[in-house]
Amino acid sequence: MSAQTADVVVIGAGVLGGAAAFHLALGGHRVIVLDRGAPGREGSGTTAGNLHVQAVHTRRPGQEVPLDSARFLPLQRAASDRWNSVEAELEASVELRRSGGFTIAETPEQRAELIAKHAWEERAGIRTEVLDGDGARAALPLLGPTVTAATWCPLDGYANPLLTTPAYLAAAVRHGARLHPFCPVRAVERSGSGWRVTAGDLTVEAPHVVDVAGPWLGEIAALAGIGLRMTPVAIQMHVTVRLPETLRYLVQHIGEGLSVKQVTAGNLLIGGGWPALRLDPDGRSPVSLSSVLGNVAQAARVLPFVRDLRLLRTWAGPLAATPDEMPVIGEVPGAPGFLVAGGTYAFTFAPLWGETLRCLVEGKPAPVDVRDLGPDRLLEPAAPAAPYEEAR
Amino acid sequence: MTASRDVLVVGGGPAGLSAAARLAAAGLGVTLVDEQPELGGQYYRRPSPAVLREHGDHRPEGGRLIAHVRSLGVDCLTGHLVWGVDDDGRTLLATGPDGTPVRLRARHVIVATGAYERTHPFPGWQLPGVTTPGFAQHLAAADGTPPGRRVLVAGSGPFLLPVACSLLAAGADVVGVAEAGHPYRPSLRAAPALRHPARLRELAGYVARLARARVPLWQGRVVNGAAGGDRVTSVTLAATVDPGRPLRTLDVDALCVGYGFRPQTELARLLGCEISADAVTGDAEPVTDAFGRTSRPGVYVVGEAAGVGGVHRARVRGAMAAAHILLREGSPAAPGPREIARLAAQGRALTRFTAMSDALYPSPARLQEVLAATLDDDTIVCRCEAVTAAAVRSAAAERAGGDLNAAKSWSRAGMGPCQGRFCGFAVAGLVRDAAEAPPAGGARCGVPVFPARQPVRPVPVETLLALGEQDGGDG
Ligand SMILES: Cc1cc2nc3c(=O)[nH]c(=O)nc-3n(C[C@H](O)[C@H](O)[C@H](O)COP(=O)(O)OP(=O)(O)OC[C@H]3O[C@@H](n4cnc5c(N)ncnc54)[C@H](O)[C@@H]3O)c2cc1C
Ligand SMILES: Cc1cc2nc3c(=O)[nH]c(=O)nc-3n(C[C@H](O)[C@H](O)[C@H](O)COP(=O)(O)OP(=O)(O)OC[C@H]3O[C@@H](n4cnc5c(N)ncnc54)[C@H](O)[C@@H]3O)c2cc1C
Repeated sequence: MSAQTADVVVIGAGVLGGAAAFHLALGGHRVIVLDRGAPGREGSGTTAGNLHVQAVHTRRPGQEVPLDSARFLPLQRAASDRWNSVEAELEASVELRRSGGFTIAETPEQRAELIAKHAWEERAGIRTEVLDGDGARAALPLLGPTVTAATWCPLDGYANPLLTTPAYLAAAVRHGARLHPFCPVRAVERSGSGWRVTAGDLTVEAPHVVDVAGPWLGEIAALAGIGLRMTPVAIQMHVTVRLPETLRYLVQHIGEGLSVKQVTAGNLLIGGGWPALRLDPDGRSPVSLSSVLGNVAQAARVLPFVRDLRLLRTWAGPLAATPDEMPVIGEVPGAPGFLVAGGTYAFTFAPLWGETLRCLVEGKPAPVDVRDLGPDRLLEPAAPAAPYEEAR
Repeated sequence: MTASRDVLVVGGGPAGLSAAARLAAAGLGVTLVDEQPELGGQYYRRPSPAVLREHGDHRPEGGRLIAHVRSLGVDCLTGHLVWGVDDDGRTLLATGPDGTPVRLRARHVIVATGAYERTHPFPGWQLPGVTTPGFAQHLAAADGTPPGRRVLVAGSGPFLLPVACSLLAAGADVVGVAEAGHPYRPSLRAAPALRHPARLRELAGYVARLARARVPLWQGRVVNGAAGGDRVTSVTLAATVDPGRPLRTLDVDALCVGYGFRPQTELARLLGCEISADAVTGDAEPVTDAFGRTSRPGVYVVGEAAGVGGVHRARVRGAMAAAHILLREGSPAAPGPREIARLAAQGRALTRFTAMSDALYPSPARLQEVLAATLDDDTIVCRCEAVTAAAVRSAAAERAGGDLNAAKSWSRAGMGPCQGRFCGFAVAGLVRDAAEAPPAGGARCGVPVFPARQPVRPVPVETLLALGEQDGGDG
């Protein structure tokens, strides 16, 4: 057993852990990042990598409440701006692309929602444009005949998640952070005015703990005796074989779970939050055929050229949602120094939350006001700490 | 269309055919699916009609077995690729030759998907004229054409010899056979083979044939690189003990190089069968018992999909699974205890023979180590995604902590249409090499194989749409 000290222990080496470690290390803090497996393999290795900037209106299949767009949009706006400097800061390409995107509607109700959404976007300072069906097809001739309206947002984009998390972690390590993969956290206890974290063969004492364990955020908090209402789910992605550059934009659906884009390598990525067969927290969640068929059929209806492609592969990944679908970020009341960050759309928010976590640790004002996004709204009586299985 | 039968057999090679024949003879309804246009698998692959007319059938027992299976009323779906598993975890999904989707359901499922060749890249491996021995063998046996006029056969394993003989028969000038190990010298390790005189006679026959044709047999040699313009024109060999240093260069217009076989386990894994790493080969293999039973009730894996061991073992394994199903079904045609004991004894003897034979050749782990040394940083390892050895090495060393799947994510090696079938072995070797000692307390990918993902081969979106429409139609 080696005991170490640090200023901050970051639990989870996903994109949020990477971004937090980078910003903290850049600020001169001694950072230790722990992951139970190889870094960036869970939500951050399976994500679609979309930068959602125009209002997210769709509900994931199974999602119970809609997002509060009035609150969410200003955050998206800030997150969007934050991405502009990521590649320069990390001194690495993450295949960042801001070529814009369409959200499409097929029914009259969806069309009405598009128009309402446009009004909120204006208020949040996000420029979007509403097009009718023919206008949308003129702008993007690949759209099919069922499309009756679309909003265009020039800020939507994509970054390659398989490059982003490694780039954040590499930059964090360059600035002095220490990364311990294959080091599952087993205990988190109070120690003096700070925390003692036990993981693998390590014990680390630090005044701050940042719990960014994604789907396991609640599980890590429970180790510290904190009960948080989070729901881990697994959703799936579908990718076609490569094709020549065909689709430059992100295409999403306002009423159904659907997002389509062509990635830099040439493959088309089809997602939209369709549920996997089940969540397997200890391995790879298996995909559901009915979700494959449903998601691919939507894509082929909205973008008929998809019909002529071949499906290369499918996969599923886990994420943790909050009951109100909003992000969670902040210190846990009654647990000074214990910070959490997570929730849906964490990829889009990663650069912003990385910087925000640094400000929270330093007690400085955050780039955006996140006081209403804290974990207090998720607190519940802690379940009796379950013995943490070591051999997972 | 949904086909629902007593037994579904995936793979019409020796193992699948043997199982199907027994089950159908006992009166069970059997569907046999194979992605190839003809049954036969690797060993009983049918020659083209022209070759049949001119040279006759090189493996007539295969033709007879296929005819027998067909005459018993087995529903043979050739040209059908099985690519996935439905949400019930049991129904298999297939695509017919015209893209029509088919769901296949049965009370018992036998996976007999065989093995794929173990390839390893080297500088120049992508040149036209470089093939695997298996491919060359098919060309020679099925079409009567050798892959070139001056051919070097290289790699490791017993099957290099029959391949070289087939190439001679097809009229090629075999410039030599280069074997990485030293299996063909009198050795105490080979003593147990004396209990398998038939196998030994077979091997001796190949050696004699090559000697008559004055084909040199070099042992302890590996391919260190190939060169050429439009096509391979020369190959350099190195000593297995010093693989980075070229020893001699040979002029050729074709090179057949391969290192044996790896079980094809994707379907077994998609069906949820437990797999483990074979103690000797390190290859991922489904955990099976003598009857081919897996961790999933009603799912059997037989033949080379359960572990590489040649045609005789594949046939016995197929027969054992059939016997078990007939017993479970309470079939009057189920074999009695004596026949089962006889089959099981045969199976054990063949398993011992495989172990003995494996011990004569360098282990796959040793090959990974030797061959990685021939890979300079610029060599493309994954040709689907054009990933170099350097890219895999750096992805593996940086933070992947020796995790094969993380190295795949970060380098893209294995992400292309072949799903890592060609590069998987080499990538696993590079990742293992690049990793530092595994940190304590860490769980990591225990079996060195890329995860099985559906579809196992790319499937047309049209097929998926048609499958979805069927669901709508079913209610
Ligand atoms: C299929 C899919 C598509 C998505 N699409 C988008 C999108 O297009 N845009 C978007 O903005 N968001 C999207 N998301 C959401 C978002 O991308 C992910 O949720 C985000 O990457 C999560 O990052 P994270 O760092 O919070 O968690 P993760 O990446 O899940 O990382 C958590 C880490 O914690 C580690 N951990 C767990 N337990 C322990 C322990 N005991 N000790 C140490 N470490 C531990 C895990 O190993 C893991 O590496 C998607 C998510 C999925 C699954
Ligand atoms: C060049 C060469 C020479 C050989 N020489 C010898 C020898 O001399 N002696 C010896 O004992 N052995 C030899 N072998 C090995 C022998 O061929 C195998 O042991 C034997 O064929 C294994 O039988 P099997 O039924 O397990 O698999 P296979 O014969 O490989 O049959 C598997 C079948 O499954 C089908 N299949 C796979 N996946 C799918 C899918 N997803 N959907 C539908 N169909 C699928 C394939 O098309 C194939 O027809 C040789 C092999 C090769 C390649």
